[in-house]
Amino acid sequence: MKVRIGARNLSKGFGPVVANDAVDFAAAPGTIHALVGGNGAGKSTLMRILQGVERPDAGEVILDDQPVRLAGPADAYARGVGMAPQEFMLSPQLTLLENLILGREPMRRGLIDERAALSAAEALAASAGVRLDWRMRAADAPAPVRQILGILRLLYRGADVLILDEPTAVLAPAQIAELLQLMRKLKREGRTILFISHKLEEVLAVADAVTVMRAGRVVLTTTPSQTTAATLAQAMVGETIEPPRLAARAAPSGEALLRARGFVGRDGLGVQRLGPIDLDIRAGEIVGVAGVGGNGQDELVACLAGLAAPAAGALSFAGADLGAASTAAFRAAGIGYVSADRAEEGLCQNASLADNFLAGREALFARAGVLNLAAVRRSARAALAALSVRYGRLSDSAATLSGGNQQRLVMARELDRAAKLLVAAQPTRGVDIAGAAFIHAALAAFRDRGGAALLVSEDLEELLALSDRVIAIYNGRFVGELRQGAATIDNVGRMMLGQMAA
Amino acid sequence: MNAAGAVAAGAPFALALLIGAAVLAATGFSPLDVYRLMLVEGFGGERRIAATLTAATPLLLTGLAAAVSFRAGAFNVGVEGCFFLGGLVAAVAGGRLAAPSWLIIPAALVLAAVIGALWMALPALLRTRLAVDEVVTTLMLNFIAIGIASWLVNGPLLARGSANSATPPILPAAELPRLLPPGALSAGFVLSLVLIALYGLWGPLTVGGFRSRMVGRNARFSRAVGIEPGGVVFSAMIASGALGGLAGGVHALGLVHRFVAGFSPGYGFTGVAIALLARNSALGVALVAILFGALSSAGANIQLFSDVPIEIVQILQGAVMIFAVAQFRGRRA
Repeated sequence: MKVRIGARNLSKGFGPVVANDAVDFAAAPGTIHALVGGNGAGKSTLMRILQGVERPDAGEVILDDQPVRLAGPADAYARGVGMAPQEFMLSPQLTLLENLILGREPMRRGLIDERAALSAAEALAASAGVRLDWRMRAADAPAPVRQILGILRLLYRGADVLILDEPTAVLAPAQIAELLQLMRKLKREGRTILFISHKLEEVLAVADAVTVMRAGRVVLTTTPSQTTAATLAQAMVGETIEPPRLAARAAPSGEALLRARGFVGRDGLGVQRLGPIDLDIRAGEIVGVAGVGGNGQDELVACLAGLAAPAAGALSFAGADLGAASTAAFRAAGIGYVSADRAEEGLCQNASLADNFLAGREALFARAGVLNLAAVRRSARAALAALSVRYGRLSDSAATLSGGNQQRLVMARELDRAAKLLVAAQPTRGVDIAGAAFIHAALAAFRDRGGAALLVSEDLEELLALSDRVIAIYNGRFVGELRQGAATIDNVGRMMLGQMAA
Repeated sequence: MNAAGAVAAGAPFALALLIGAAVLAATGFSPLDVYRLMLVEGFGGERRIAATLTAATPLLLTGLAAAVSFRAGAFNVGVEGCFFLGGLVAAVAGGRLAAPSWLIIPAALVLAAVIGALWMALPALLRTRLAVDEVVTTLMLNFIAIGIASWLVNGPLLARGSANSATPPILPAAELPRLLPPGALSAGFVLSLVLIALYGLWGPLTVGGFRSRMVGRNARFSRAVGIEPGGVVFSAMIASGALGGLAGGVHALGLVHRFVAGFSPGYGFTGVAIALLARNSALGVALVAILFGALSSAGANIQLFSDVPIEIVQILQGAVMIFAVAQFRGRRA
């Protein structure tokens, strides 16, 4: 087999941690090669080596059947290898066109040749079969457009090996389908794509070959026709994980714990994004909200977590009016919050694990304003142990944890507060399968203890597995509701697109 | 301050010494001889150490004032203005309140702190209510404060029969006690150290210290867990202003014994550099302020005993600040 890009016996360590251990893999030209593995399996390190960002400790990178030493990312680009990072970096104040040409501007008499840039951009977009408004500022561009721009930028720079690190993580199902379509088209044109994803269905749908990594090693190399999602998942985690099966149960009765009436939410620019809606959540139930991103879920979550005041409507919780209450009052009343933006809002990355655990409850651990640090450490240890968070020391910063462990830390804090209602937004985004299963089990256990939860997720399987009822949101309105058992991917998916439940 | 912090704070000093050495060598001096002389002048013997600590006293407090604010994420550069106003108020109170020392000194210092706190109320409100950038407002308020103080001391508060722009001297009872008479080192130095020590305990051990740390590191996260950043930032800016005013008061009662035009050669701005270098740690503020005090004390003496111009010390100080700020920007970016 000809190898466009690959690795032979590649090893890389960071201090005592072995990130890549004798990794072998090979992608043939003109194929899509998927790379799957849990958080911390070593995928990102491998990609960074292939991109020339990191140097391997041992072994070699293979390009066009030849071992090469990459001097750096510029060298990799010169050899046709380009990578679109997971959180694609754009300059928000620049237009999409300016972001595309940034660093490789076509020049004419010392000035940027706008016309040449635009025609190059249009030609790229046409060849990729997409349409973009090139004058739009990057800050205003929705997530799928940014992802596509990330890929176009690689093409603009002449890359024919595209490394895509979880390009679908922030996309809704319909947008994912479009992205996969684009990847197939690029493959037909002879390009080679390395596709990193947690989502096995996507991998099986689009890849020609699959490499599974675990703990820095390649544990399985196969093709979609020879394997199944279950086999891949098992290889990733190394043991069979039972998906949480919630026993069908009677709907909890009684008074609603949370009651919203005529609820209207606006976004930061003052545009009405949500409502009016009515919502009841009872103790002991998980209410799932399904919708394509940008249909009002963000505003719903912000209002129910007390981060934004509703523009109109009434909200009561456990009998008390929370209409104009502060975030602190929401939390004091017993509402916990798992942010979709784990990196910036769910955690304080540059603070210690103990500080992250303590934040928001410091008054409870203090007498006369003086913190009882021993008690903080004791409770933090117990809570982190209860959720099997793997960490070094409590004084380590949250940034040292892997994505899945970070989210467990968030859950540990929010559950330890003995919240009555948990508002959870995308709780398993970017979390590996084992971590996601753990978080699901924690949510289910919370519900079984009598806790209530609002679960907003773009992962329909997650919603269906956990929710006692699923509400579909479309254009800011609730357009349908299905009980567990009645809800399927198919009918919920149709409701999400604004087609009423049959 | 841990080992990494010490290296980070030490690097700007080392780089500044290198630049100073280049300047000295280029102007025909031996850098080693000059630095040895500075070391001796800064720390050689009780009298010189006392002079260094005297020079460090206002810097300890302005550094602390800046650190209190920076820690909560508010980049208050208005300590200089508070220093002027606090000095003026303390000098006027110390000159007019005929009372025993135990009453007049605390009263004058409290008034100095109050005027500093009030002076910061406007930028603090603008920042927390309307999200107006505090760097701009506090910087500009410095010029207004200095202007008001200069006008008062040239007009309504000018000492009778004085040609200089100065208030009358304060009453002897209002002077802070000297620690090593007849040396100028005053009880203000002890007060500064005590306040820095309290700050060092407050930071890691109290609810307020914890909230201020979290808000300074990530305001959005703090808000989401129920710590209202507005209140924390507001209090930090007010406390910073109070400490800046107190610094001026201590300077007026402890050293100058009156208020004069050009009361501060930029103590408030040096305080900003000190807090940046110290990364807001209590120990760091104390050490860096004393180093800066040694620089300026040695610099004043050095031109008496050599041909080295005092400007070399200003070059050193300026270089330290540039590297400190460069480092700070690097961390923010």
